[in-house]
Amino acid sequence: MSCKESLQTQSYLDGELAGADAMAAERHLESCAECQAVAADTADLSDGLRKLTRYRAPDTLRHRLTKHLDRETRHSPVHSFWLGAASGGGLSALAAGFALFVLLPPSAATLAQSVVDAHAAALTGGKTIMVASNNHHTVKPWLAAHAGISPPVTDFAQNGFVLTGGRTDEVAGHPAAVAVYAHGNHEMDLFAWPDHGAPLPQAGISRGFRTTFWKSGDLDFAAVSDVDAAAFQEFVSLAQNHRE
Amino acid sequence: MDDRRRRFEAQALPHLDAAYNLARWLSRSPTDADDIVQDAMLRAFRAFDGFRGGDVKAWLLTIVRNCWASAGAASRRRGHTSLEDETLVAGEADPEQTAMRAGTRRRLDQMIAALPEEFREVLILREMEDMSYREIADITGTPIGTVMSRLARARAMLRETAKACL
Repeated sequence: MSCKESLQTQSYLDGELAGADAMAAERHLESCAECQAVAADTADLSDGLRKLTRYRAPDTLRHRLTKHLDRETRHSPVHSFWLGAASGGGLSALAAGFALFVLLPPSAATLAQSVVDAHAAALTGGKTIMVASNNHHTVKPWLAAHAGISPPVTDFAQNGFVLTGGRTDEVAGHPAAVAVYAHGNHEMDLFAWPDHGAPLPQAGISRGFRTTFWKSGDLDFAAVSDVDAAAFQEFVSLAQNHRE
Repeated sequence: MDDRRRRFEAQALPHLDAAYNLARWLSRSPTDADDIVQDAMLRAFRAFDGFRGGDVKAWLLTIVRNCWASAGAASRRRGHTSLEDETLVAGEADPEQTAMRAGTRRRLDQMIAALPEEFREVLILREMEDMSYREIADITGTPIGTVMSRLARARAMLRETAKACL
């Protein structure tokens, strides 16, 4: 009863095919009732799985891990660098470092790394959202007031990208406004900061996170997430084509 | 701070939830998942100087999967607790919706639990962690064709069970 093209159809639906293979699979799907039925059921199943069933590492595990890592490193705990820097001569070195960032436009590589660092740090700290709201009339003014940047903010819930809130962050030493979206159980960050004339990096994958950069008006934008390629591309094109 | 520690916290720790989710679904036990992830993260940390480029998430999940596999069948088959006290990402305010979701969640959980391990792991990696076929093949150490057929089989089993439940 199983269609002999079913694995190929599955690969197509999972975003694993490109070019001629993808087109052939698409043509087959248009004419095969069995593959269509399986595709619809699988989409429902994926929806159910994505919405309902992801576990998060308990805080007790995080704390235990930090203790173990402290022991492994045999150095003082995480905060010592910052405490040392704040209490003594480290502070001026730190300030000099930031001054360099501010004076020189960051390189493309620095930008790419900085955006992924910021996204990852927010995820690690569990602090991706400072203002929680799915209403762009709330998020946009909050960002304008706290980051001094007022990017367009839209909820793309109809397309499966739900606006969950915003936060202020830093990209290569510059303040940035971040609109935060959820796609299934994945988090997507949309960064915006004033265009400083710095060259923007190519789209890429770094440390498991996809990034894409673009300019629009007098702002630079970056999208960052660990969603799959197809969803990421859809999100980017929604964000790029959006007009308020 | 130690350079390796700093790089590890910046690059590997953001994927701690993904590591835990995989371990939790593979082991079917919160206690075992804790042990597996702690073991995996410490191994990853010790090996981190040798990690050169590539995808950190896929690399971490490979270590988690191997730690689970070496944890042994005995502990793996231990009975698992119910979902009541779990750290699932959810949290609706509406009690009716919460009850409905809890029902669906429990049913889905049982369905996935009933899957044979080799099917469960490809399903979790694809559906929850958005890993590509290539990455799943690398993580589980199986040929890519086997990944595809196991994924199709896992989905078919869940679809059938879902229909039987409703």
